[in-house]
Amino acid sequence: MSTGCNVPKIDGDKLVRGLPAFVDDITPAGLLYAKILRSPHAHARIISVDITKAMALEGVVDVIWHKDVKQIPHTRAGQSYPEPSPYDYTVMPTKARFVGDRVAVVLAESLRIAEDALELIDVEYEVLPAVTDFTQSLDSDVLIHEEPDPRGISKGGESNLAAMIDVHLGDVDKALETCDVVVSRVYHLPRVQAAHVEPHISIAWIDEDNRLIVRTSTQVPFHLRRMLSTVLEMPESKIRVIKPRVGGGFGDKQELVCEDLVSVLAIRTGKPVRIEFTREEEFVAARLRHRQRISMTTGAMKDGTLVANRMKVLADTGAYGSHALTVQANTGQKTLPLYPMENIHYHVDSVYTNNPISGAFRGYGAPQGFFALECQIDEVAKELGMDRLELRKKNHINPGEDDPISAHLNEGKPGMARRMNSCALAECIASGADEIGWNNKQEPTHPRFKRGIGVGLAMQGSGIAGVDWGAATVKLNDDCSVNLFVGATDIGQGSDTVLSQMCADELGIDYEKIVILSSDTDLTPFDVGAYASSTTYVSGGAVVKAATKLREQLAEVLAAKWDVPAEEIIFADNKAECGDHSMTMTEVANFAFYEAKIQPMATASFTSDDSPAPFAAQFADVEVDTETGQVFVRKFVSSCDFGKIIHPLMAEGQVDGAVAQGLGYALCEELHIDDEGRVLNPHFLDYKIYTALDMPEMKIIFHETNEPSHKYGVKAAGEVVIDGPAPAVVNAITDAIGKRSYTIPATPERIWKLIKETS
Amino acid sequence: MIIELNLNGKQVAWEISPGDRLLDALRMDQGAVSVKRGCESGDCGSCCVLLNGEPVNTCVVPAVKASGQEITTLEGLAEDELMKKLQSSFLDSGAVQCGYCTPGMLIAIWARLNTGGTLTEQDVRHALSGNLCRCTGYAKPVEAILKVWEDKS
Amino acid sequence: MRNISQWFNPESPQEAAQMMRDTKGKGCYLAGGTDLLLENRTDFEFAVDLSATGLNEIARTETGDLFIGSCATLHDLETSPLTHEFADGAIAFAAAGCGNRPVRSTATVGGNLCNALPSADMVPVLLALDAVVFFTDGESQESVPLSEFFVGPRKTVLDGSLLIGLAISGQYANWKVISRKLTRTVEDISLVQVAVGLEIESDTILRGSVAMGAVAPTPMRATEAEVLLIDLPLADAPVAFASVADLTAATCSPIDDHRATAQYRTEMVEVLTRRLLCEVAGIEDVKKYRGEK
Repeated sequence: MSTGCNVPKIDGDKLVRGLPAFVDDITPAGLLYAKILRSPHAHARIISVDITKAMALEGVVDVIWHKDVKQIPHTRAGQSYPEPSPYDYTVMPTKARFVGDRVAVVLAESLRIAEDALELIDVEYEVLPAVTDFTQSLDSDVLIHEEPDPRGISKGGESNLAAMIDVHLGDVDKALETCDVVVSRVYHLPRVQAAHVEPHISIAWIDEDNRLIVRTSTQVPFHLRRMLSTVLEMPESKIRVIKPRVGGGFGDKQELVCEDLVSVLAIRTGKPVRIEFTREEEFVAARLRHRQRISMTTGAMKDGTLVANRMKVLADTGAYGSHALTVQANTGQKTLPLYPMENIHYHVDSVYTNNPISGAFRGYGAPQGFFALECQIDEVAKELGMDRLELRKKNHINPGEDDPISAHLNEGKPGMARRMNSCALAECIASGADEIGWNNKQEPTHPRFKRGIGVGLAMQGSGIAGVDWGAATVKLNDDCSVNLFVGATDIGQGSDTVLSQMCADELGIDYEKIVILSSDTDLTPFDVGAYASSTTYVSGGAVVKAATKLREQLAEVLAAKWDVPAEEIIFADNKAECGDHSMTMTEVANFAFYEAKIQPMATASFTSDDSPAPFAAQFADVEVDTETGQVFVRKFVSSCDFGKIIHPLMAEGQVDGAVAQGLGYALCEELHIDDEGRVLNPHFLDYKIYTALDMPEMKIIFHETNEPSHKYGVKAAGEVVIDGPAPAVVNAITDAIGKRSYTIPATPERIWKLIKETS
Repeated sequence: MIIELNLNGKQVAWEISPGDRLLDALRMDQGAVSVKRGCESGDCGSCCVLLNGEPVNTCVVPAVKASGQEITTLEGLAEDELMKKLQSSFLDSGAVQCGYCTPGMLIAIWARLNTGGTLTEQDVRHALSGNLCRCTGYAKPVEAILKVWEDKS
Repeated sequence: MRNISQWFNPESPQEAAQMMRDTKGKGCYLAGGTDLLLENRTDFEFAVDLSATGLNEIARTETGDLFIGSCATLHDLETSPLTHEFADGAIAFAAAGCGNRPVRSTATVGGNLCNALPSADMVPVLLALDAVVFFTDGESQESVPLSEFFVGPRKTVLDGSLLIGLAISGQYANWKVISRKLTRTVEDISLVQVAVGLEIESDTILRGSVAMGAVAPTPMRATEAEVLLIDLPLADAPVAFASVADLTAATCSPIDDHRATAQYRTEMVEVLTRRLLCEVAGIEDVKKYRGEK
């Protein structure tokens, strides 16, 4: 068995040796370089673009602007068709809607020439009033999208409402009247950026068969093929999207970011074209976690029973509505089932502004929601005079209980009911509390420090129920090696390894026999891509089914040879056996090829109407410098239920990385945008992400459950553990200083101000 | 202008523009693809190489400055015993996720290990502090390095 | 940087300064090149590379003065025995706090000074040690105290002259000096930086210095506050340090930006100054944590 073991990462060797593996590592002959001229205005009509001087520069091959490209409304959100995001983009907009929007694109023989040419383009703008304060957007006279949305999701043409959700369960107002304790607060969540170290990069060319080939750093190759087909008005058969190794995505590459531009230019010129974002472009023109303002009210009875919750989310989607509906749907869908209540009112206004664009980022709305919820639970406990953990234990969802909200949330499609068929949250809480010393708090290490501990519980999903699906193809070779073709996209998280493990076990052969290919729209079957924590569960389900089918094909061949019932043949330990019959799998493969003369090969698809929830209880032990407001996380514990663990080291790696990002969200990451819509800190010098020196002592505990809806009992790992750090840290700070920050990141100055108010 | 330098043990000369970054000269002109572009501001360490044995971020080194010097990229350490140990320890410890920052990290820590002296966990973290990694939270890379160090001493 | 079309390699500081004059404002000195590439400035056509000018020396003179060439890298400063044995190794410590390890291999102290950011990491400690800077226009050599070197954000007195290096009088060799940055993460631009130095003889502080970064258009000394440190018996230090810290904070004029407000920066000057003075003097900080201990 390779599942459950730390097998070598299947693509690890080439990565540690720095061999050509990423998009930019292979340069097609005659490659041309494109650079985007970006709007200096937050809101301006692009009246005309004079490209004469730029075109005259030696080495400039092409310059395009909106008159060169047909205006076809679409979304760049990489989601299943029909995408539940407004169709509010065009390839080259006629109106710039944020500082950094596309105005023109230069194609040149070198990057330097392209950069020089940008400076030679004259643009006539009609500068329009802009709205950058998202709390004012709905009341503003400024209309950011003047056309109606063909998808009917946004109120384009009428208002700046990009998406709206309103769900009532029970009667919150009435329930609150009966509550002994009601806590009502407003929480403020910052814009943060995924900051994958490999920037967005795409290379496109036209091959010898006149087809468009796009080699790109993406999480969603198949969605891209479909979306490119729409915007280029080109049949999908003419497009091939190749995803090589990807240097991190975290949701930011669940989006069409520059693939359309390299494609347009490759088609226009017939030459290979490359676009790579600079780090500044990543911060300005890629995607951000939605800034949200969450107003939450929770009502509880004296005995600690939680009975009602009202959650109102105002979200800044920025200039375009990528994931404007679904991220915010997820904010409620992931958080509200944690403490099932009978009375829920969930409301979202997702609004356009003339700010950089928000989109998908690990957690997908849940980190915002859990910050509000888990901070509020602490305050409810305080009001009730209960221990914070006891209140949680009394109310959190348990095995066999129903998620109250999912069936009522419409994300472009009706929601699906969900029952917790596996849930070790109680165990996670117990072991995590023990590890952090919940009842045995450490003393401060210096008199000027105060020390506190805090908890954040979280749950997520495993793919999008009823929407996500993937397929896999398994092909046996005559030496018993197996080609596994998956559309699932390994973006560094290790899905190629995990899927290969499941494939090997299902076939009863060694992991080393598996040769995996992901993902190439010409060669691999469909998969929605790497998002929503779906790959191990959904794509893994497809691999297991395909491998099962392949095994059945072999069983049939052997059944005929041995004259035994096919279903009685056992495949394990590199052997096929039935009674006295036994063959090594290598012999079986050889027999299939040269005696039976068949190619054992199978394709299978997997989807699920369930999205089983992984759980985490995360604990922080912090010290606060009472004079400077600096917060030092001394220890961070993540106690997790991911279902069965296929690869323990990689599962731990998911926790390590998510916690690093989550602690940044809690304490230091924030993209600052001024009133004119300009990003003030678009570089790592001033947008601080955690370094090796910032990380606390980490402890990870797994409580394995066997999720019944999946043959291997798996759930998901990627996202749930980014949800807990911010509330855990802020709850710990509150425990230390007795005052609460309703805003993150909890920067030294914000905490210092709180302390000053105290004294 | 022409620069001439020792790249991974070989004397090479090629034409560059005076304003070129060493990153582009190595990666785009010389095909040293282990030298990754991540930030172009000296902050992420993905483009880290050794300049006369010292780790440098090539995105903030003018290419001309390498003229007449010795440059070693990860490609040049393919047969180095210590590097091979580091690489296999990274693999065994789960220290590689997307792998984009890995070459820079390996170069930075290789340089540190070669300076000798003792090595605490905090030393490792200091040596890696110029390498931004968004996947691993640094836990497993630090572990991987300490394992090599413990085996070595 | 990308518009640089010509590269000069002068072999002496004088030659370098003369070449710079010949570029008529279109040239830039290039030491490590870090900041130039970082900013990707397009206004320079000529680079005057200082690699061969011999300015990377770190030395102690016969009189015990510490001389640091402008092209000494931050890593040189971090590791040189000469900086380690001078003033408690404060210069080495400050250098180790600049940027990250690979950047310190190429970034130079001269670059840090000449770029003249209000938050320049090397400056407060050098200011606290009364560093004197030397520069040449190609013909004559001049020197000014570092405190007079900066004339505004990103502006120095150089006007095309070449920074040769800086010197710190040997009388500071036995001073106790500490600098500290207040940052959001461990490696970050300073929100505030403070450096303090004390000359202590048995139980008396003979004199001291306090310098700040990131809290005014240029890094600055708290000269008024320093008066309180003259001939200060250690027994009186706790109370006096509190006054020095308050006065220092009152002297600075920080700005509000997205990193911190002026008010926070001002108060942090007080906190850091007090803490560092107590640390340097080896006494307990009694004034604060507001009666909690």
